[in-house]
Amino acid sequence: MVAFEVPEVDYTEYTNRQLAAVPLALLAVALLILAGWFVTTGAPVQLGTEFTGGTELRIQTATPPSEIPNQFDADASVTPVQTADDTYLVTFPPDSGDVEQQARNNLEPVSGQSAADIVRSDQETSASFGSSTQRLALYGLGVAFVGMSVLVFLMFRTFVPSIAVVLSAFSDIVIPLALMNLLGIELSLGTVAALLMLIGYSVDSDILLNNHIIRRSGDFYESTYRAMQTGVTMTVTSLSAMAVMALVASVFGIDLMASIGIVLVLGLATDLMNTYMLNVSLLRWWKFEGVAR
Amino acid sequence: MSWRDNWRVILLAIFLVVSVYALVAPGVGGGDGGDAAGNESLVTTDGPTNLKFGLELSGGTRIRAPVDAVSAYDVDMPEVQEGEDRNEVQSEVERRVAGNLSDVDAADVTARVGAPNESSTVEVRVGNVSEEEFASALDTAGYDYDRIEQGVTDETRDTIVRTLRDKISQAGLAGGSAQEVTTADGNNFIVIEMPNANQSEVESLVTERGQVQVVAGFPVQEGNDTEYREVPLLTQGDFSRISTAENHPQNGPNVPVVLNDEPAQNFSEAMQKFGFTGEGADACTYQADQDNPGYCLYTVVDGEIVYSASMGGDLAGTIESGDFVQNPGFVMQTTNMSEARELQIHLNAGSLPASLDLNDGTSYFLAPSLAEEFKLYSLITGLVAVLAVSIAVFLRYGDPKVAAPMLVTALSEVVILLGFAAAIQLPLDLSHIAGFIAVIGTGVDDLIIIADEVMGEGEVHSSRVFQSRFRKAFWVIGAAAATTIVAMSPLAVLSLGDLQGFAIITILGVLIGVLVTRPAYGDILRALLTDQ
Repeated sequence: MVAFEVPEVDYTEYTNRQLAAVPLALLAVALLILAGWFVTTGAPVQLGTEFTGGTELRIQTATPPSEIPNQFDADASVTPVQTADDTYLVTFPPDSGDVEQQARNNLEPVSGQSAADIVRSDQETSASFGSSTQRLALYGLGVAFVGMSVLVFLMFRTFVPSIAVVLSAFSDIVIPLALMNLLGIELSLGTVAALLMLIGYSVDSDILLNNHIIRRSGDFYESTYRAMQTGVTMTVTSLSAMAVMALVASVFGIDLMASIGIVLVLGLATDLMNTYMLNVSLLRWWKFEGVAR
Repeated sequence: MSWRDNWRVILLAIFLVVSVYALVAPGVGGGDGGDAAGNESLVTTDGPTNLKFGLELSGGTRIRAPVDAVSAYDVDMPEVQEGEDRNEVQSEVERRVAGNLSDVDAADVTARVGAPNESSTVEVRVGNVSEEEFASALDTAGYDYDRIEQGVTDETRDTIVRTLRDKISQAGLAGGSAQEVTTADGNNFIVIEMPNANQSEVESLVTERGQVQVVAGFPVQEGNDTEYREVPLLTQGDFSRISTAENHPQNGPNVPVVLNDEPAQNFSEAMQKFGFTGEGADACTYQADQDNPGYCLYTVVDGEIVYSASMGGDLAGTIESGDFVQNPGFVMQTTNMSEARELQIHLNAGSLPASLDLNDGTSYFLAPSLAEEFKLYSLITGLVAVLAVSIAVFLRYGDPKVAAPMLVTALSEVVILLGFAAAIQLPLDLSHIAGFIAVIGTGVDDLIIIADEVMGEGEVHSSRVFQSRFRKAFWVIGAAAATTIVAMSPLAVLSLGDLQGFAIITILGVLIGVLVTRPAYGDILRALLTDQ
């Protein structure tokens, strides 16, 4: 049986500065991307129709995709659904009128179906409702993050290990957000859920590492390696589950689960880097230099 | 091996048995048809289990919208003096406010004089009045107020939800529901879910207020001219019995109704006074000549005439003789059966105090066929994710003694959660499925922590060594679980649609995991490793 072993990293070869540089540089780049996005588009991330308002239709029609936008009064953007024949996602800005009815009236049904079957799903959000959802989701994310931070500080009662957990959780959210912009994934309620799930997963492996280093007797490197063995197994297991979920869900065209899967894959990979480069270096500094002061 | 040492495993087994029972036993959960809040059991059951599926997995329409109205709070109304009728004060306010607004009837304005220390409110329940117009109307009428907000008062919103529920059940749309939702920033929405209904059906239900009136229209001689007068005679609430809409061979589509005593008396007097029982019998020519309709009884829904009927000769006779008051039944006719059914719904459920503003909300429709696909596909996706976890765990440990119970334990968490969902009739949506996958993920993570901790420092020979290592592992698990719960709890209470279900399932899963399944895994592992 091919067993996978967690490789032992020789941390003594690298200085704290070297170790922390990579994740911090990536975090800075990610923040720059979000800031740039904010300057150019007015929002740090691409917001889906749930947040901006607008209408998203899933239609099945024999009308060729190039002609679909002409059948509507409002601006329409058309994305084909890869896995279903003649099926498209059509999105409209807010206040586009009764596009559902226009779809039924103007588009050709595929053979064997009637005009009533053209619209398979329809999600309409008004602009005002969208902005209130946006506020709420932001508020929820903020409260979740602050709550997590407070709890972490209460549990460890030491500044450096606690801030290491919080910083790495922050980076675990920010880097996937920047990657979502680059990959063209919109922020929807589903991806917000995925980001929150990341808080949970990220803190898991960080707490494990902190616990091994702070609360156990023994050599720093030995503790780190033992925490790593468990932590990497955990993260890789979740990562493989999420990768498979993202793949299967996108083949089936279930967008919500596909985007949750992709965001988690990005976030868990980020977490591997943050935990075993950023956190380890912060903890080593704290253990060998910070405490002495 | 004693009972006392393995009580955690036994507890897990009990949870599993109960959950499986809740999942598959017929009549569990769905049997009582409703909960204490009067919320009828409004979700569809499918297949061999007791699981309920929400809109995203069964198809249908969901509308979430605010009420189309404006309200003023803490209005400075005249005090109700000794011996004065509160209703008189209120209707005085209503009339004066309505008089200052164009196209607003006093019936569309509700003033409530609050008890001492309570807010007095005025609502305008038609959609086209802006906050500014309302403010200037109140100013002109001379009433001070504290603030004006979109929407209606809590009392009115309760009535709207109750009426919508009635309408949904009257419409025979099985599985529909209506409820109030308040968001964290203080906005109130009404959420209506209707499986197997398309958007236009639901939209007409919530945007039409469904005010039914029976109006008498008749000619009056004024000198040489003939003028037509219209007098509303009956409205919802005047009927003691409303029968099912029927298609009668002679009367056509109609709804048979019986009047209450007092309205019957008034109706009968009015008919005689206006001349319907004499020259007005069988004399409605509205269909032929709308300008010169003769003596008609109009059925008016939301201000529009849906049917015009003559006073039948037989009915006129019973009114003349006084028999009608003894036995006040007649039929309300319509042009076709679907109108008759709609009329029956409106009569039964009453009118909505205000309609919903669809331009300020969201609506969601999913074709049932697509939902079926989603259901199957999300199940497959979940199973594949479990398979991926299993492969990873087996590759890592290579020892089925460690890995197999790990998977069994993680899956039993999902079974318990599903059983719980079936027992409380939680309608499952895609977000819940994502929550289940998250639970498997964190569950297996924690089991890996236990396994590594217990086996990490060499062979486990005694229970005591095992116990101390298990306790160490549990600190990490408990800490991680607490942070996950803290991170998810704001979402479990915010009404953010998809996110709420996801957060609730994740929190429940973590709790079940920490309290039941993970301790049990510890016991199983101990039994296997210490060869007791």
